[in-house]
This record gives sequence, C-alpha cells and structure tokens, in this order.
Amino acid sequence: MSPVATASVPSVGCGTAASGNGPAGPQSKTSNSALSGSANNRSNQVPDLAPPQHFSFPPPPSPQRKGLTDPIPTAQDKWELLPAFLQIKGLVKQHIDSFNHFINVDMKKIVQANAKITSDADNIFYLKFTNIYVSKPDRQETSAANKPFTPHECRLRDLTYSGTIYVDIEYVKGKQIIRRRGVSIGRMPIMLRSSHCILRDCSDEKMASLQECPLDPGGYFIVKGTEKVILVQEQLSKNRILIEHDPKGLMQASVTSTTLERKSKTYVVMKNNKLYLRHNSIADDMPLIVALKGMGMQSDKEITQFVVGHNPKFLQMFSESVEEAASLEVFTQHQALEYIGSKIKFSRRVMGQRKPPAEEALEILATIVLAHIPVEHMNFRPKCIFITMMARRVLMATLNPALMDDRDFLGNKRLELAGQMLSLLFEDLFKRLTTELKMSFDKVLNRANRVKPFDAYNQLLCHGDLITGGFVRAISTGNWTLKRFKMDRAGVTHVLSRLSYISALGMMTRIQSQFEKTRKVSGPRSLQPSQWGMLCPSDTPEGEACGLVKNLALMTHITTDDDEAPLVRLIFALGAEDINLLTGGELYQKRGYFVTLNGVPLGLTRRPQQFVHNFRLLRRCRRISEFVSIHINTHHRSVNISSDGGRICRPLIIVENLQGRVTPDHIGRLRAKEMTFDDFLRQGLVEYLDVNEENDATVALYEKHIGPETTHLEIEPFTILGAVAGLIPYPHHNQSPRNTYQCAMGKQAIGAIAYNQLNRIDTLLYLMVYPQQPMVKTKTIELINYDKLPAGQNATVAVMSYSGYDIEDALVINRASLDRGYGRCQTMRKYTTLVKKYPNGTFDRLADPPENLTLPSEIERYGILDADGIAGVGERVLPKQVYVNKQTPTMTTTDLSGTTAAAQMASGAGVVSYKPTPMVYKAPEPAYIDKVLLANTESDQIMVKTLIRQTRRPELGDKFSSRHGQKGVCGLIVAQEDMPFSDQGICPDMIMNPHGFPSRMTVGKMIELLAGKAGVLQGARQYGTAFGGSKVQDMSEILIESGFSYSGKDYLTSGITGEALSAYIFFGPVYYQKLKHMVMDKMHARSRGPRAVLTRQPTEGRSRDGGLRLGEMERDCLIGYGASMLLLERLMVSSDAFDVFVCEQCGLLGYKGWCQYCKSNDHIVSMVIPYAAKLLFQELQSMNIVPKLVLENY
Amino acid sequence: MAFNAYDSTLAPGADEPQIHIREITDDVLDFVLSNTDLSVANSLRRAMIAEVPTIAIDIVQIESNTSVLADEFLAHRLGMIPLQSINADRMKYTRDCSCIQACENCTVELTLNVKCTEDRTLEVTSRDLMSSDPKVLPVLSDPDDQGILIVKLRKGQEIKVNCLAKKGVAKEHAKWSPVSAIGFEYDPHNRLRHTHLWVEEDPAIEWPLSHNAVEEPSDAAYDYKAEPNRFYFRVETVGSLPPEQVFTGAVRVLQDKLGTMQIKLKEDDEPENNGFNAMGDPQDGIFNSQDGWNNF
Repeated sequence: MSPVATASVPSVGCGTAASGNGPAGPQSKTSNSALSGSANNRSNQVPDLAPPQHFSFPPPPSPQRKGLTDPIPTAQDKWELLPAFLQIKGLVKQHIDSFNHFINVDMKKIVQANAKITSDADNIFYLKFTNIYVSKPDRQETSAANKPFTPHECRLRDLTYSGTIYVDIEYVKGKQIIRRRGVSIGRMPIMLRSSHCILRDCSDEKMASLQECPLDPGGYFIVKGTEKVILVQEQLSKNRILIEHDPKGLMQASVTSTTLERKSKTYVVMKNNKLYLRHNSIADDMPLIVALKGMGMQSDKEITQFVVGHNPKFLQMFSESVEEAASLEVFTQHQALEYIGSKIKFSRRVMGQRKPPAEEALEILATIVLAHIPVEHMNFRPKCIFITMMARRVLMATLNPALMDDRDFLGNKRLELAGQMLSLLFEDLFKRLTTELKMSFDKVLNRANRVKPFDAYNQLLCHGDLITGGFVRAISTGNWTLKRFKMDRAGVTHVLSRLSYISALGMMTRIQSQFEKTRKVSGPRSLQPSQWGMLCPSDTPEGEACGLVKNLALMTHITTDDDEAPLVRLIFALGAEDINLLTGGELYQKRGYFVTLNGVPLGLTRRPQQFVHNFRLLRRCRRISEFVSIHINTHHRSVNISSDGGRICRPLIIVENLQGRVTPDHIGRLRAKEMTFDDFLRQGLVEYLDVNEENDATVALYEKHIGPETTHLEIEPFTILGAVAGLIPYPHHNQSPRNTYQCAMGKQAIGAIAYNQLNRIDTLLYLMVYPQQPMVKTKTIELINYDKLPAGQNATVAVMSYSGYDIEDALVINRASLDRGYGRCQTMRKYTTLVKKYPNGTFDRLADPPENLTLPSEIERYGILDADGIAGVGERVLPKQVYVNKQTPTMTTTDLSGTTAAAQMASGAGVVSYKPTPMVYKAPEPAYIDKVLLANTESDQIMVKTLIRQTRRPELGDKFSSRHGQKGVCGLIVAQEDMPFSDQGICPDMIMNPHGFPSRMTVGKMIELLAGKAGVLQGARQYGTAFGGSKVQDMSEILIESGFSYSGKDYLTSGITGEALSAYIFFGPVYYQKLKHMVMDKMHARSRGPRAVLTRQPTEGRSRDGGLRLGEMERDCLIGYGASMLLLERLMVSSDAFDVFVCEQCGLLGYKGWCQYCKSNDHIVSMVIPYAAKLLFQELQSMNIVPKLVLENY
Repeated sequence: MAFNAYDSTLAPGADEPQIHIREITDDVLDFVLSNTDLSVANSLRRAMIAEVPTIAIDIVQIESNTSVLADEFLAHRLGMIPLQSINADRMKYTRDCSCIQACENCTVELTLNVKCTEDRTLEVTSRDLMSSDPKVLPVLSDPDDQGILIVKLRKGQEIKVNCLAKKGVAKEHAKWSPVSAIGFEYDPHNRLRHTHLWVEEDPAIEWPLSHNAVEEPSDAAYDYKAEPNRFYFRVETVGSLPPEQVFTGAVRVLQDKLGTMQIKLKEDDEPENNGFNAMGDPQDGIFNSQDGWNNF
C-alpha cells in the first residue's frame, strides 16, 4: 500500500503539507473494521472496490460494475442530513422528548393506576380521577390580566415557570355521583420548549418579542427564577439478565426488576457447584430447584430439561443442584413453599394477620421475586422459564468465562432523563396526595352528624400545595428523596451554567453516572468501544469525575418507552411459537432461537435471520416505531427486541446492493426543503440503531469502504464528537488529552451568551465586547450556532520567544491591540435585596439620601443615590458607595399589646424607628449601574435587583486559551512599536512561546494557523472539521499565490532594533478565547484586617479580606533555616498575640495580676502567648483537664 | 562622549541620507530611505507609529444613551474614530495648557445627538458627529463615504453625547496613532545574512521574493562587513494626517529628542551649571525627554 497522500506540488516539494490530512487511507480503514468485527477481510473479496484513494474523487470505474449499479458519489453531500436531523431532533431534544412523554403519556398512566380513592368509613363513597392534564404556564395571581406568562418574566421576577395541573373527577356526594372537570391539584414546572411551553414552535420574531433567544436550546426548567437542568443519569439497564462475578467471586446472573410498583433485585448464583436463587426478602440462598418447585415446576426432569437442554456438560454441572434439593427432602410444591416460608426475612406486613409461611412464600415468589414478569392467575410458567434461563446462562458462563457480560458495555446501560425523574417524583407525590385525601375523607366521613352533605371537592382544594411544593423543592434542591422507591439521590439538578453559550449547551448534553466517584476502578471510567458515535470520546472532565461524566455525541438520540402490546402481537404474527407451550427439550433444540421483548422471553423461532429481516422491514416502513431495536445474540441463541426507554441510538444510512440508499437526488430534495429527516426515516433510507443493534451491523465509514457485508453507512464521521469537542479545529491532529482540556476550557470562555443577554439579570454574566467568529470553522460550529454566539477572537499570533516574560505558556500581548478592544469584556453582577414586610406590620423602606451631610466622605458615600433611594442607572459606583439605601425597622417582632406598629404609626402613638441597612458596593474597582429592577415576588414582597457592570481590558495575569487546550496567562503587554512586524508592517496581537508545541503535540493548532492565514488572504473562512476540513496542501497553495511562504512562516523584523530576526517566524491568526479567570477577581493582599472572633486569628479567604497563611510547609522551611524570631513574629505577633497572666505557683492562667486559684497576686507573671493557645487551655479545663504552665527564665 | 551615534553613522565620505519617494497617495507613502543607519530608519518607524501627535476623542460626556451599547463601549468606539489632525501642531496638550480641564487651545468639542424616530434601524456613523472646529472632522475617505458605524438605534433609542477631542500620542493610547501599518524592509535578498532561511530544499523556490527585490542586485557574494543602508518604507495612514506629514512629524519628534539630549549633555559638560543634575545618569535625560515635550 502506498503511503498517505504524498502527492507534492512541484514548486513546493515538501511532504509534510499533506501528511495525514485526507480522511482516506489505510488508518481509517482499520479503525472501521475494528468497529464492525467481521468486515476486515472484505478488501480481499472485492479487490476492485476500494484501492486506497487519497482524494475524494470517485474511484475509477471498474469494468464489472458499470451502468446503473455504479456507486453514486454522495460523500460530499450526505453530511447535509445532519442539519436536517438537528432541526428535528436538536441537541437537547432528548430532554424535551422525555418531558413530553412524561406529561402526555406517563402522567396519565400514573393517574390511571391510582385513580380511585375509597373510604374505609363509607363504602359507597369513592372519588375517581378520570383524566389529568397540564395547562400552559399561567400566572398564579388571579388578579392579573391574563397576559402571556413568559419564561423571561420568571427569570427576572424569581418565579417558577409552571402550568396548572388539572384533573377531571367523579365522586359521590350524598347519594349522587358528581363529575367535575378542570379541578386544579397543583402546579407543574414546565420544561422550556416542551409541548406545554409557550415557546413551542415559535418563530424567531415571536421569540424576540417574548425576550427569548431563538438560539437557546431549552430543555431546562425555571424554578424560583433560576434555570435548572435535570442532568441525564446513566444506569444499568433494568429487567435484563447480567452475568458477572458477585463480590465473593462467584458466578451469578442478576436481574434488577423494575415495574411501576416495585423494584427488586434477583440473583441466580453458582456456589459450590450448586445453583441458588438469591433475593433480598429471603434470608438464605434458596436452592434453585426448591425455588422452581415452589413455583409449581415440580418435576426434576422438566427442570433439568429447561436448564440443561441437550448439553451433557451442563447436565453434569446441574446434577449437584438436583441432588441438593433431594437431600433437603423437598419434592412437592408445598414442601418447597414450607421450606422457603421458613426462611423469609421478616414479615413485611405489620398490619393484618400473619399468613402461614407457605402462603407468604408463594406471594413473595409471585410478586416480589422477578417482579417484572407478571404472574397472572398463579401461572408461574413464564417466571420459571426466566429463572431457568438465568440458571442456564450461569452454567454457560462458568464453562466459558468469555460469556460474562460487560457492565460497562453501553448496550447494558440506560439513560434516565428529566421525564423519567419527574415521573418518579410525580408518582410519589400523587400517591401521597391520594393517601392524604383518603385520610381526610375518612376523618370527615367518620363524624356521625354532619351538617352539610360531604363534598370531597372542598377537601381536594385544600391539598394544592403538596404537588406544587414537592416539584419546586425537588428541582430547586436537586434532592430526589422518594421513600416509596428507596431512592435518595442528591445533585440530580444543576443550575444551568450561562458562562457562555457553549457551557449551557455542554450542560444540556452532559451525562452523569450513578457510579461512585471514590471507587478506584478504571472500567467504568475508560472509553468503551461501544461509545463510538453515541458518546463524545473527548468531552469528559479531568480529576475525580473523569470518565464518569460523559457527553452525548452530536447525533445521539435517547429513546422513550414504547408500548409493548403491539410488539407482542407482531412477534407472534411473524411466526414465533409461544414459549409457554414448549418443553425444555423443544426450547433448546438445534435451530431454536428465543425471541425476547425487553428481556422477557416470549417465543421461539427457528428462522432467526428471516425473523429479524422481516421485523426490520416492518420498522423501515414505519409499521412499528423507528426506535424499536432488534438484534440477534448467537451465544444466547436469542433474538432480542427492545422498546424500553433510555436506550442510546443514532441514525445511520441503510446500505443495500453495495450502495447507500441515500442518493444525491434525495439530498437535493432535502436541500430544496422537499424532504425532511423524517421522510428519510419513513422511506427507509435512514434508520436508528441502538448500541446492541449496532453490534449486529457492519457500518462503513465512507462509501468507498462498502463491501458485500456492509449493512449501514455512517452519515458523517465527525458526529462521533459532541457539541463542545466539535468546536476544535482539526482535532484529529491533536494529542487526545488536549482535546479533552479544550472541552473543559471552552466552557469557561467569555463571549456572547444569548441574543437576550442584555435583558438578562444573572448573578454573574461575562460578555465579550467584540466577539468574532473563528477564521477556521467546523461544520459543528455552524450546526450548533457557535458562529452566531461566539466566544473568542482571532488573534494574529507570532510563535516566537520574546522578552522572557513568556515562559511557562505566558503570552505577550500587543498594547495597541488592547487599546483597540482586543480581549475586552464586560462583567455584570447582580445584587438583590428584598424590601420586607414584617409580622408586626412594619416594613423596610427605601430612603432618599440623608440631607445636611457635611463630611465630604459622607457626601460621596450617598452621592449616586436618586430620590427613590436607589442609585441612578449609568452612575459610576465607587467602592463603599451606597447604591440601595434600604432601612429596616428596629423592632420587627415585638407586637405591643395587640396594637400593630402600623396602627401605632397611624394613631401617632409611637414612631417606628429605622436603622440603615444599605447595600454597599464592596468590590475594589469602580463600576457602573447597568440596570435596576423592581419586582413583586411570589410572596408579594418587593425585590430590588441591581445589575452592576464593569468593562475590563486584559491585564497582566488574565487567562487566555486557544482551542487546543493551550492555556496561558498574559505575561507582558508590549507597545506596538516594540513588537516584531512583517515586511508588510503587520504586527502580531499576541506572541506565543514555541515551547508550547513540542510536548503538547497540538498539530491541529499549527494547521489552524495555516488555514486561518490562508483564509485571511483569500477572504473566506476555512474549515477545520474533524476528519476532514481544508487540506494543508490547499492552504499552502493559497499562501504561495498570495506571496507568502507555504509553511506559514514569515520574515519578521525586530521592532526594537529594526534588525531582521534571524529565524523565520510561524505567523498567522489563531482563534483565542478569553477565560473567565481574571486577575481583578483574584487579586488580594492584606496588612491588617479583620480577625475571627473565636481565635482572634486573621480571617481566611479573599472575600473576608483574609490573611495569607504561612502554612506548615512554609513553617518547616523557616525552622530549617533557623529564623526563629521571624517565625515567632509571623505565627504569633502578627497573628493572635495575647497578654496573659500566669501564676508560677499553680501554673494556671490568672486575670489582671490575680490568681483566682491561689487567691493571691504574689507569683503572677505576665507573658505573651497566642490567643489560640489560651483558648486551648481553657477548653481543656472545661473538659476537666488542667494544663499547667511551668515557667523558666529565658 | 557617552552617545554620539548620530554622527558616527555618517561615516567619512558618505553622503547625506536620501529619500526616494516611489508612491504617494492620500493615505500611502512608499519611499526608499538610503545612506543612513538601520537604527535611524527604525527610529523613524517607531516615531511614526507612536509619537506623531494627532487628535482623537478622549473624554466622552454622556447625557443620554439608551442604545444597546454600554456607555464605556460607546466611548471606546468614539475614541477609535480618526479625526483630521492637521491642526494638531497648533494645539496644546491639555497638561501643558493653562486651563483646568478643557479650553479652545487644547480641546475640540464634538457632539453626537441622534434619536431614532422611525420604525427602522438607524445607523449612527461618524458623519453624525458635529465638531466645534471645522478643521477637526471625522475622517472620510471620499465624499461618498458612509462614515464609520458607531451604533445602530432602534425606534425610540437616543444618543446624546458630548465628546472632547484632545491632542495625544499613540504611546498613551493607540487611538492617537496616525498609521495603520508601516511596511519596513531592508536587504530583500538577504545578502547580509541577517536572517536564516528556513528551507526544505531550495530557498529560491520556497521563499517568494519581496516586491522590493527588484531594487537591489541579487548577487550572492557575501560581504561580512556590509551594513544595511537601503530601507524600504511603506507608510499607511488611518487618514488623520497625510502620510508625508506623518513622516515629517516623526522627523521633528526625533530632532526634538536629539536636541533635548544635546542640551542635557552640554549641562553635563559644565559641572558648575548644576552640580547635582550633572552627576545624574545621562540615561535620565534621554528618558525624560523621550516624549519630546518635557524639556526641563
């Protein structure tokens, strides 16, 4: 094979220009075949198909395939499916879909399941919820005219963006049945852009009129004015058999059963060559045979057939288990139940009479063990078969450990989204509501004589706050405490980070793992091959959450639950035999394949391939949901169909007859907006594959890789990256950790946040004054609209060393560039205060500036206040100036003999006195009042929000970073005339030290510079899309045409001497981000200042004007050096020196020359010790330990 | 003598420095400076960038600003607008002026008073700036020039500001720089071997020649004693000053500085003049007089 693309341009004669830039070539091929196991020898089978090609023009036509079946070149165009996909699905569609599913489907199901409330006191009475629905967000204040209730108003006024939950009810009043519609039972926070949000399907103009940013992705909630995201949670899949080692190293099959009512975990364990069933509710491991007998499978032969099938090896392994049951003398179902009943852990039912153990055992087996398999009319057959399947899997894995399951395999994972989390919460709250209602009904109905006939409606109205408060509390604190499900999770929700557009977007695609962070196992943290195309390989934090917090890739979709019933019918219609009608012998005959639906075996088919093929055909023509997946597992001999929610899937182009089904014609129609992504799905051109089904597919990366076994074609390789990693130009040329670093830093970059950024009043808002689109874009940048809300500027960078102030990645910046606005940013900070009302009738007030001030310092202090007691908008605030002159009554609680203070004021009996509680500007640098907002909160108090703005130009120590994980601080600011310059007079904005390159190996940055330079000279932006982008060779040619060196190097002259620099300098534009870490927020020094009350030592931290700690290690240095007096000064004299009186006689501390212990002042001496030491002595004394000081002359 | 570089460049027998102007337009001056030292050429370049005084808006008094841009933002944009500065020579620096903050001798007042009353976006440009001095106007490249966009106003938004333009130099802030870029080159064939060509195979193929290369012979003979003495300048201005005035202004700044230094050196030679000052570092004098206005 020839090496990659070394076709050199004669005038250049260099090989580096093209190395590894083209996506074609052998490397990508191997990576592809690694992905799709069985395809690695296809190039031998079809030798004419894919000779290594360096460029993207189609392969030369081969004589065999000419005419209609010729490959159709779509390589350039098929990426256009991506914007179409994002248009429909969007980056946060998984959140929105999940919420919609909850509010439109799940909620109704939950209410249906708990619809009827009866009363123990009156057996005629009942209350039934017949329907439930949620209104669009509406104002709670009844007095308000029904104006639109916008999310932005909620943000500004600290409200919750929520709609009212209405139910239709039917209940008995007296002797008649009353139906009521639209009874409110509480409020439900509404996800932005969901089906119930007013922003749904809004045009951009409408969004603007609602003060919303059209580019804002939505998918979050607004609770009490803060934007909250429910992060995606990663969990092991439910209701599936997982073979693994238990903590003791025993082979086990485990199943986490989850139904709407119950969660339980069941194991089949191989212990001492015997199989046991293990479950929480049963104290000991039950021998498997006993358990099966308890479920009515009494014949040893039948059991053995089901477990062993026809395999003599299994028979041998299983024989011991059979023997054990016999030795326990358990032969019949009754005996088995008695045995199990004796081992039940505790009677869970406290109330009611205890049942005999056997009955209890039966009930446990029916309802708790493997709860997800229903037992109807005591028909245990499906459950028995499931248990035997588990047992068989354990035997198989014992013989062949390769058959153990991989917990970290993405197909064994499910992602839990906002909808599922809210659904759990709502179920809990609704059940609590019904029990509370029942209790109050009982209470009223128990009363013998009632004046009025009992009306349940009135009771219902009293419980409105339960659901509202429950939702608000859970979302605003992030604590999901649901006793019913034994669930106690903290940190489920997070405040949406609005540091930059990217950080908000990155948060919406983030996945949190339930896995513990403290455990030192690498498995769950490492990159799983099955994450390909589903989760971003680059975007993960460093440190303790590394690999546990992940991000979705660009094309990922997460499924929601799908109805099973039609699928069951379909399975049988496609020719599967009902599994419950078969014997074990039939089940494991040679050609039989199980058909399972969501982990439950339903049928048996003898033609699995045919079955799967037909099933897929039906899916491709949309007879069933496109998100139902089907795959064959040959080891387990099963066809697995999944329709459960939380599976990760992504779209792929279907390949038929050696070509992708998507043709340029389709793309043309897509471009002409005649087709949408949905049409592609409907016409069977594209389909979603989940991780398991992807394992069954052979996916070609590029069209040229399509072989006879190929089933699918990637839409676009760069979609394996997520939204945040997609910003990096040429990431495939970088060392991989650099891309990860950039993913973390891109979220800290200052830029534009949203189109409504100037209308927002956030706690902290960083905005760049002149943000620019990057010169080197990527396709992802355009898709996620980063070019519309950028966070950075294109700096002309010279890669050279200058002045020595550029060591350790420091940057040298041109002063003239800063003068002209480079890196300039605004910081806005919100300060809130409430004008409160107090229970005794008094209230806070905003006072005008005091009159008759004489001291100039006092005049200045109140100088910017307007007559309303609030600083005027646009005023410059100096440190220590008052900007909201609030005053609080001195008495807020005392209520003098029934008369309120207000009444007193009215009657003139007493005047309420006020003390000043002003808002004082504390930051060290002056700033400006940007906005003042006065609003009423939900609790009817006046809230004053002041937004204070500062405009900052970069200074020494401010942090910058390129898009390649190369961060650095500004080390020196140099006048323009001192900067080096090119022969055309171009000065760099920034000088970067070349030592940043060798060890970091960020070749992508060099190519970005080259492409950026070419782009500047050509007047067009270049692309640095992953696995593609503008080619280095093309860039070099542009440079040559424009009279530059092809290498991107320039002849530079020193600005100081005017002499030519002896080296040629790599010189061109690179996109630089200004990060939020700025010196002004961090600088801190203190000579004297506040001290802590308890220890009298200086306080800690910048916010408290704290001291700088001389820590243990620093202390060690001084000890080692022998600077004892310095040590004494630092540790005591300048910290907490304290004069004490010590009695030499008793060794205790005295007071003012008097020893209380000796009752004398004879032996008292005065000395200086740290106050902390004095405190220690006293604390010890309080614990009955007497420390005594023995003094000596020194 | 501590410093006599200027004289030493004029080696015996050498001619006076020469200027050959190759191109001159409203905002570009392309010339070749010859028969002088590299240090002189570079000093000229540096002075043109940083020390030729021009006029720019320095203080912005905001009466009303209901536009989307913050006050500082707007003030910064106003400061960057180039103003015609031919009169800069006749103006005083405010710090040298007898007035307290601003007077006619040191300040030009420009006002911007725009309100959008129509139902479409109004673009406020530098053409909307009204100057108190008809000679200090925002630079327009030609009569059709739209002017520099300052801010866009929506219906009901208003800007009412009063700008004080002052004389200054780019050492203080880049807005006072009369030039946008100065092309500067010598020895286009690298005969002096001041730079090392980074090369893969053949420098002649890989390195494009500068357009100044035609001015000099390309013979390869290396003379290790040779000194650079032809300098190719291309001065591009922002329009506040004509390019030839930028050049003459720079020369004057240099002359002033040298003059100051000569005086200082003379003081050094006459110890009875000022004993204390004479002991001072001669560097001191250079430093203080560098700005050209500070003659004490």
